Amino acid sequence: MSGLGELDRPGAPGGAEAWDERSGEWVAEVGGADAVPEGTAVSAVSEQAHAPAPNRRPTPRRTAADPVKALMHRHRELCERAVDPLEIAAGLEAHGVTDRTATRFRHRDVFSLAEEMYARAAHDEETAPRPTTLTPTRAHTSWILLTLLPGTLCAATVAALRLTHGQAHAIALAVGVLAAVLALRAALTRGPLAPTNGTLPGSARHSSGSRAWTCWLVAYALLGDGLLEAAVAGGPDALPGASADSSWAVATAPVLALSLACAPAAWCAHLFAVSARRRLDTSRGLEDFTASARPLLLGAFALFLSALSALLAVCGVVLGESPAYAQTVTLGALLLLARLLTAHGFTHAPAILLGAAAAAEATALATVFAGRLPGCGFLATPVETAADTWGPGTVPTLVCSVAALTLLVHATRTLTRASAHAPVDQPC
Amino acid sequence: MRIGLLTEGGYPYVSGDARLWCDRLVRGLGQHEFEVYALSRSERQEAEGWIPLPSQVDRVITAPLWTAEDDGVHYGRRARRRFAECYGELAAALCTGRPGDPAAPGEAPAAEADRFGNALYGLAELARDEGGLVGALRSETAVRALERACRAPGALRDAREARVPDLLAVAAHLERALRPLSLDWYEDDGLGSVDLCHATSGGPAALPGLLARHFHGVPLLVTEYGVRLRTHYLAATDAPPAVRALLAAFHGRLAAETYERAAVITPGNAHARRWQERCGADRTKLRTVYPGMDASRFAEVGESAESADADTLVWVGRIEPAKDLVSLLHAFAEIRKEEPKTRLRIVGAPADPEGTAYLGHCKALAAQLFPDEAEGPHSVGDNPVSFEEIGGPELPTLADAYAAGAVTVLSSVVEGFPISLVEAMFCGRATVSTDVGAVVEVIGGTGLVVPPRNPRALGEACLALLRDPERRERLGAAARARALELFTVEQNTTAFHGIYLEIVSHTPVRRLVLDDTGEPLPFAVPAEAHVPGRWTGPAARVVARGGPAWAAGAPVRAGSAMPATHATPATEGAR
Repeated sequence: MSGLGELDRPGAPGGAEAWDERSGEWVAEVGGADAVPEGTAVSAVSEQAHAPAPNRRPTPRRTAADPVKALMHRHRELCERAVDPLEIAAGLEAHGVTDRTATRFRHRDVFSLAEEMYARAAHDEETAPRPTTLTPTRAHTSWILLTLLPGTLCAATVAALRLTHGQAHAIALAVGVLAAVLALRAALTRGPLAPTNGTLPGSARHSSGSRAWTCWLVAYALLGDGLLEAAVAGGPDALPGASADSSWAVATAPVLALSLACAPAAWCAHLFAVSARRRLDTSRGLEDFTASARPLLLGAFALFLSALSALLAVCGVVLGESPAYAQTVTLGALLLLARLLTAHGFTHAPAILLGAAAAAEATALATVFAGRLPGCGFLATPVETAADTWGPGTVPTLVCSVAALTLLVHATRTLTRASAHAPVDQPC
Repeated sequence: MRIGLLTEGGYPYVSGDARLWCDRLVRGLGQHEFEVYALSRSERQEAEGWIPLPSQVDRVITAPLWTAEDDGVHYGRRARRRFAECYGELAAALCTGRPGDPAAPGEAPAAEADRFGNALYGLAELARDEGGLVGALRSETAVRALERACRAPGALRDAREARVPDLLAVAAHLERALRPLSLDWYEDDGLGSVDLCHATSGGPAALPGLLARHFHGVPLLVTEYGVRLRTHYLAATDAPPAVRALLAAFHGRLAAETYERAAVITPGNAHARRWQERCGADRTKLRTVYPGMDASRFAEVGESAESADADTLVWVGRIEPAKDLVSLLHAFAEIRKEEPKTRLRIVGAPADPEGTAYLGHCKALAAQLFPDEAEGPHSVGDNPVSFEEIGGPELPTLADAYAAGAVTVLSSVVEGFPISLVEAMFCGRATVSTDVGAVVEVIGGTGLVVPPRNPRALGEACLALLRDPERRERLGAAARARALELFTVEQNTTAFHGIYLEIVSHTPVRRLVLDDTGEPLPFAVPAEAHVPGRWTGPAARVVARGGPAWAAGAPVRAGSAMPATHATPATEGAR
């Protein structure tokens, strides 16, 4: 068979009830019974087959004055949901109504019959209540555990580093860093922080760049301040951790707090996404949505910042280090905004700003070292002055706050658009 | 001649629609070169691979419709404004009254009808110049344009009620539907190099053909065995009315634009033809080309003298509720009252769980209506109704199934193109069918037709044939002759061959002839090769491409650039 017949075959009547109903109808006609419950068709027919009335003519039925009304009643669901006459025509044909049937309703063809039905149904429809569409929120909870993983692994690594010495120390360091990075990667590929359309080639290009810059920024939070302080003082003499009295101090508290903050970040992103979707359903227009989404974004952002501050304080107390509030909170804000934008498909701006921030920090470090070259002392002056006056944390604070503010402005414009919250896959 | 065969979810994929027809067409027209441009419908379809292709298929170019490739292009200010203008026009065209609206019969002005086309080609030109259309179609600009169009005065009632999620859904659907605009098929070495685009279905497959016509003036032939717009309506979704209204408007306008621009449209039967006419296709462009079937399988049965059991009725087909076997069984009960020796063989298998359930239902009904019967008191009885499948020892082939009966019955309540009826006609069997789908058109006067859902009429018609062997034979011979005339593969192929030649003779592609250094060769095409104006009477709607605008008959597109064709210098020379 060529299979072409299938292409033009009107869809079969939906569901098994179609033929049950039909056969039941016919049974009702022959048996003279008005109401035969569905499912008893077979027995009714068998009774009729043995009934002693071989040549009885079927009783005429459907003698209503308005045949179209009866037809509309039979296809009322079709008439109610149709958006134009052609939809009714297609539906009628799928139920076996042909042009010849249409002549019984005093119409030339199915199209004009469908037009009458559409015109008559449209009046009733005015008052029909509109079904409220509530997009069901999918309850996937596996990402909650995943977001806790980086923090846990990071804490374990820090504990192991405190407890081990010598070769075991190096092994713990390597294993811990690797595990934390892998866990972070896993946490960012699932759940609310994952990009919605990560398959796009453009976003892939940006995301690898963003990932490298993020690593650099976190590494600076860990080592940068100590290095800058040592450099300003004329060092560094040894690698961090090589000796107990090394001038190059390592700040573990900010990094631990940042890794622990993965969980609140994911929760805040989830909160934002869910409430934005709810607003999407209830808002009347695009402007309306934008106006109502802006407080949501700012609220989620503030929530994350306070959670990060609390984590920082706890980490500082536990590790006995000074919690570098300013630089860590601004870095956290920058990373959260970059991730939120990436997750909603805006990969361009985060990649640029993360890159710019990382470059600025690298430049600051480089100028200090470049200042040691003969005749280039002026290069180091601005950074040294700032570090001397307000401490070495000034550089990352300044850089990250500028970048985070820029991203915040960008996010309040892009993330509050309705198109940023479009559901990914919809049925045709 | 180079034919660009445009398919969507069909040839050459193993699981494609109508692949057999395309394959026969391509193999049957070996004198032409074919380039297949295939849009795949799903990842699974792509993974299943292609069917073997004959040597006349030069190349196959595929693109996925199920996934979008964002090329990461960000529009500048000017491109963004251009996009917003085109998309706004498109949205406005969708939101205002629909073409063929009964409320405004025939008064849709040409400019209004052209609005959709202009917007479509504007977007295509933008995609060709700048790229990045996928991202733009998903952007806030697009959603805003939709919202503005929906809130504008004079918008459809359903569209006015569109809320934000509806707008997003419509934008996503439009992005999906307009994916063919971003393809790189419209270059000079792609669709620009073919003489004729043959779209094997309407809708997305015809979209590349429309663009090839717009960019290069390649004539378009549209074949629709199933009307795409109707398929869209039947694929019922639970989307809100606003979404369905806007999408129906889009598909309706796309169909209208396709029919308007196509040089020739070939519906597969009168039903498809009616829909196409309804959607604005010009009658003069329509040529019904019936699907072809392989007649050789049935030759032996059809040519042999009737040897079948004269008391047997046969029903062949796929078992499903739309075939209304219940009605057939009741009709058979009527027949048995008059002719107790009659038997009914139902040959076929269910295709889905619903069909299986229906088969069980029918078997139960048959067992209750007709008790088993035996020859005498000492022999084992049998039911007069048998349910069989092809491939068993009794019925090894399809032709045997038809040969087994004197009369073939078709009892469907819903039918497209009734293939089993055509097969019965090839076998030279007298038929009784219900008046559904294309049955009357197929059978002509060579069989009996009764109303659907009327078992009494069906039974009486069968009885009439069972009692009259001569009439049976006469009808069977006529049916076979008619089928051989209309429904063979050769007929189909020949018809398309003729249509190809007809189109190309009306719209020859004139290429600029280049010399060895790549410079245009002047006077390579003599001026006499092109006769401006109409060759035939005013009825001819297909006008030589590249001819003067006044000859084109169609309204001149407002605000759109003249299509850039290679033919321009040659045309200038001709003038």
